[in-house]
Amino acid sequence: MISVTQLTKKYGSQCVLDLPSLEIPKGQCFGLVGNNGAGKTTFFSLVLDLIKASSGSITIDGISVDRNESWKKLTAAYIDESFLIGYLSAEEYFYFVGRLRQQTPEQIDQWLHQFEPFFNGEVLKQKKYLRGLSKGNQKKVGIIATLIGQPHWVLLDEPFANLDPSSQIRLKKLILELREKQDITFLISSHDLNHVTEVCDRIVLMEKGLLIKDLKAGDSTLKELADYFTN
Amino acid sequence: MIQFTQIAFQLANKKFFRSPQWEQNLVIRIFIIIIIFICLASFFTFGLGLFWILKKDFPDQDPVLVINQWLVYYFSVELLMRYFLQNLPVADIQHLLLHPISKKKIVLWMLLRSVFSISNLPLLILGLPFVIAFSKSGEASGHLWVWFLGLLGISLSFNFAIFLINKSKGFAIGVFTFLVLIAGLEKQNLFPVKLFFTSAFDHLYSAGLIVFIPLGIVLVTFFATYRFLLGRIYLDQGLKTKEGFMLGQLTVFDRFGVLGFFLKNDLRLIVRNIRARQVVLMGFFFLFYGLFFFTQDVYKEMQIMHVFVGIFITGGFMITFGQYVPAWDSEYYRFLMCQNISYQKYLESKWLLMVFTVVVASVLSFPYLYFGLAIYKVILAAGCYNIGIGSLVSIYSGAYNRKPIKLNVKAKAFENTQAFNMTQLLFMLPKLFLPMLLFYLPYKFVSFNAGIIFLVVSGLLGFFFRTPILKKIEKVYQKNKYKTLASFQTQNA
Repeated sequence: MISVTQLTKKYGSQCVLDLPSLEIPKGQCFGLVGNNGAGKTTFFSLVLDLIKASSGSITIDGISVDRNESWKKLTAAYIDESFLIGYLSAEEYFYFVGRLRQQTPEQIDQWLHQFEPFFNGEVLKQKKYLRGLSKGNQKKVGIIATLIGQPHWVLLDEPFANLDPSSQIRLKKLILELREKQDITFLISSHDLNHVTEVCDRIVLMEKGLLIKDLKAGDSTLKELADYFTN
Repeated sequence: MIQFTQIAFQLANKKFFRSPQWEQNLVIRIFIIIIIFICLASFFTFGLGLFWILKKDFPDQDPVLVINQWLVYYFSVELLMRYFLQNLPVADIQHLLLHPISKKKIVLWMLLRSVFSISNLPLLILGLPFVIAFSKSGEASGHLWVWFLGLLGISLSFNFAIFLINKSKGFAIGVFTFLVLIAGLEKQNLFPVKLFFTSAFDHLYSAGLIVFIPLGIVLVTFFATYRFLLGRIYLDQGLKTKEGFMLGQLTVFDRFGVLGFFLKNDLRLIVRNIRARQVVLMGFFFLFYGLFFFTQDVYKEMQIMHVFVGIFITGGFMITFGQYVPAWDSEYYRFLMCQNISYQKYLESKWLLMVFTVVVASVLSFPYLYFGLAIYKVILAAGCYNIGIGSLVSIYSGAYNRKPIKLNVKAKAFENTQAFNMTQLLFMLPKLFLPMLLFYLPYKFVSFNAGIIFLVVSGLLGFFFRTPILKKIEKVYQKNKYKTLASFQTQNA
């Protein structure tokens, strides 16, 4: 379980995030929506201990993220291109991550087979550095790398943006499949209301750092969200 | 055209004055300006001194004729330096493409701007004082100014030609082979290549009219480059930097556990990124640093300066690479911080890399034996100090350096001073002056060998206690984590 208590993040006098309490149980696919400046990326950065909270705390499976680093073994994330190492090829990058998660290159090679349709022949065995790939392909590499070594928690910031339509559909399928089979809990932020309501069990809507709505995904969710954003 | 040039100049101005190296505090800025000034001044006096030295050493020869014998080497080196260091203002013009400005103007602007780049300065700064001093003396036997104009012309045509050859990998190897060939052929008296060039420069000097040849070459290279660029001003052609794929497997390193794994990555970092390659090249040039000192009589008896030089010879790479230690990984530092990585192993691998380069530099510096065993002993002792203490100080200082690095972009002029701030300045003390002191005190009060032993022992101490020291440094890195992340993030974006 990821649990948040009395979490705030302030820059000067401006409060960019204020979450009194939030609990994300294991197995519940968690969706985060909101306009620019809502605090989605700030929240993810706080969960990953990349920025320091002004007050309050976050724990992952009972481990306080800013006190103890052992949550890193169970958690993976892809926020943006700064999570890629630009001068490595895709395989080298997967081996790099694999090495940190106790996977040999051979294991990684074998494991990668299942994603060949997702990569569509444009990523693997290319003898190209990641910085030379298109944005969409970079994103694919980043997302797949988070799945290496059976993490319990995977945080994805805008996973559908920049992907072509087929890849978006494949990614959706992949997420649904992985949470069934491997018990991975996803935290997904997205501007795409359709996609996020399709994959997630629960949608949290944020605005200017505050939690506005906390919805259980159902038939009416999409309409409710759409109504909110229309106004 | 006028209007466009104005706007473009304004942009270039802003780019220069808003670049991060100016956003330092005043003391540092003044310090950097003073250093730049000292560099310029020393170049200038060297040019001036050149005249007097040549007059003294070759009293019955025209100094220009002496210089002419070496010009072919000078220009070869200049070409190599340009190849490695000259920045093509390619990224600067991409954003102009979609505006209503003709491509001709954009290309003209690119070429015009390159004329004012810093890579055209060395010849001017070195040559001008010499030419002025010489012409004042009134002893020139030829057309001094025309000769200098010719040289500037050659340099300028290199400036343009570099646009054409920048993309060919074989080029540097070509120039290098050419250099070795002329030196070799010269030795064997087989084919007087050098003589050919020397006499060409001599003719330029004696018969001024020949100057139309270098000036013609300038025009030819200018138009060739102009046409070349005009036809290729597309994102996927002239404006694209093509990348090969280097260092594929490197499975050797897998045998050395986590350390080998990090080292492998660092090697790839160095080989596959322009900025890192530049730094390695600089470190390589530091190997020759001793030549400036050991050849001059003034420094013969100043052993304390030998320590200073020795630190640079053996630690040139360590200092240039080490001052950017976390910054090399700045582009993906957030990723690293989310991974299950042991900071200690990370730092240890950087340390190992530095130690390795110090060992290599110490071995490569054996030709300094030519200047005597005593000098070589000092160099090796300085190497020991670098291994034991210098390397750790470098890593420690890195914890306070939060300027991110763009890996695959060439450094701009003086950008290497970017990491320069008050703290880094303070770290120069243990990097440079402590070893001088460690040597000097026992040297003064006991003996030369005592000074050497003192340096070596202090290096060994650092080496054996590296693990606890690295642990302490690791704590500092941990403490600075958020600050480092924030600053890498904002400035890289």
